Amino acid sequence: MRSLYSSQSTWLHALPAWLKLASLSVGGTLLVLMNRPLPLAVVFGVVLLCFASLGPPAWRRARMLLGMAVAGALIVGFHVALGSTLLGVVSALRLASAALLALMLTLSTRFDDLLAVLEAVLHPLQRLGVPTERLALGLGLMLRFAENFHAQWQRLDDAYRVRAGHGGGFRLLAPLTIRTLQTAERVADALAARLGR
Amino acid sequence: MPDDGLRLEDVTLVRGTRRVFEGLTLHLTERRIGLVGDNGAGKSSLFRLLCGLDRPEAGRVRVHGLDTVSERRQLPRHIGLMFQNPDDQIVFPTVAEELAFSLTAQGAARAAARAQAKDFLAQRGLADWAGRAVGELSQGQRQQVCLLALQICSPRTLLLDEPFASLDLPSQARLSAQLAATAQQVVVSTHQLDTVRDFERVLWLADGQVRADGPGPAVCAAYADDVRARAEASPPHHGMPHA
Amino acid sequence: MTSSAGSLTSSRSLSYVALFAALMAVFGLIPKIDLPFGVPITLQSLGVMLAGCLLGPRRGFCAVALFLLAVALGLPLLPGGRGGLGVFVGPTAGFLFGWMFGAFACGLLMRRMARLSGAALWAGAFAAALVGGILVVYAFGIAGLSWVAHMSLTQATMAMLVFIPGDLVKCALCALLVQTVMRGMPGWRLDRD
Repeated sequence: MRSLYSSQSTWLHALPAWLKLASLSVGGTLLVLMNRPLPLAVVFGVVLLCFASLGPPAWRRARMLLGMAVAGALIVGFHVALGSTLLGVVSALRLASAALLALMLTLSTRFDDLLAVLEAVLHPLQRLGVPTERLALGLGLMLRFAENFHAQWQRLDDAYRVRAGHGGGFRLLAPLTIRTLQTAERVADALAARLGR
Repeated sequence: MPDDGLRLEDVTLVRGTRRVFEGLTLHLTERRIGLVGDNGAGKSSLFRLLCGLDRPEAGRVRVHGLDTVSERRQLPRHIGLMFQNPDDQIVFPTVAEELAFSLTAQGAARAAARAQAKDFLAQRGLADWAGRAVGELSQGQRQQVCLLALQICSPRTLLLDEPFASLDLPSQARLSAQLAATAQQVVVSTHQLDTVRDFERVLWLADGQVRADGPGPAVCAAYADDVRARAEASPPHHGMPHA
Repeated sequence: MTSSAGSLTSSRSLSYVALFAALMAVFGLIPKIDLPFGVPITLQSLGVMLAGCLLGPRRGFCAVALFLLAVALGLPLLPGGRGGLGVFVGPTAGFLFGWMFGAFACGLLMRRMARLSGAALWAGAFAAALVGGILVVYAFGIAGLSWVAHMSLTQATMAMLVFIPGDLVKCALCALLVQTVMRGMPGWRLDRD
């Protein structure tokens, strides 16, 4: 599984997973509740500084945020055209801050640790018959598949490009769906062979 | 019934509309077994039967005394299957987590599993792999991780489905050496005949039936001869305009 | 592996549910505009329709629920980079819950039409997507919006009407994808529980 986790340590790696996850939860909620550009800009600045302080491991992954940067620019542009510039700026800042926070969490926290926190949080529900282990595994698989989509899209696009001379765009949606369903079947088989069910 | 090896008793397997196997009976106890044959001959289907992924229409499949249908839950402790593509098999982002999962899937506690995984890697001189992200490893290394994840539970039998297919020569050599060194029963399905030529027993599957079954060198030679004969017999420019 | 009754093994079930949850997550990362009410009408509703139609009511519901669990845990998977528990109390919370039941409704309807093929299948899938992805989702969404934003139901409905055309396009796209999957994966069953 290709992941964003960085094996090179940063100061964030040392913090316990539950703390980071709780901070992201609280941070995400706060961001949603904030509506004014100036406080949001300050928050964004702080988050950016934290991100930069992580060193090379984080800067290397900043490429992932390029998509977010483009999205932010588009949002602002759209709102400028509509005359609601402030709203656009607010949205873009929120998006950027949340993305940075999430990326910081992902690259500094082992998946297994995140799952452990989840299981601990959900444990009380086990009495009610909620299958917490399965939920944890489901979330893990979900993230794994999400990462995989981009790679599969890329491969399909390359294959299309070689034969058609240009990119596939929306035409690839159908073969991509089939391809991902087939991947899910194979992953399920591998899982079944290890779990026995 | 003696608690030994892999048994297929008069097995019929249907997949979709195809009858893959019909009345197949096999008893596999040798330590090193090769499986060769054209694509579509049933090699992967045989492995899936042995792991309990498919159930036979008729007959029984038994792995070390366990019925693959009724006692499926316990199979992973006794038999492991390595798929062709490591990317389909690996679930977790780091090596240690992936190995630990094999143990937690069988009921081990998370912390103990993690410790055991680290020890396992250290024993093989791969201690620095523990924290490494799977995404950073090469194809051959990812396949090794798959193999390690299977071996950590020490199942009695390991099934490997075309493990050499996408490996470069050094990785092939390394994998061969690892298989030679392990004490488990190993069944390898492959197109690289050299890798199974010196196995005690090799089965040649064709259209769901055992064409040949015996010592490695003889069966591999027979299969290779058959392939050559078929290639020479069919018209060389079939379907292409004559130059 | 399927038994003759069409039920899936536990691993297959989990894998498919996780896959469609991932699909919704990916759809959320494709940038969309944040409108004055912050309503996230995006490709994600397409994910809801697909999950319901292709996985059936129960697993479709679970896929959306799994996705929402990830969102609740703080992953910024909603468009605009939103996530965390806060979104479940905002004006768009109704839509989030509506997605789960929308997928369920899509699945229920699709099951009736599992035996169709060709253009009839397209029409059936379109109808299922319409009822589940639009009617059910909007019912929940409008109720939630009017309650949280202190609007009357009529006002809320009027506000949402502008998104219907876009959603109809999504229904058509969903139907097309269902058709394609049935052609490209002969063993796929649309009549799962």
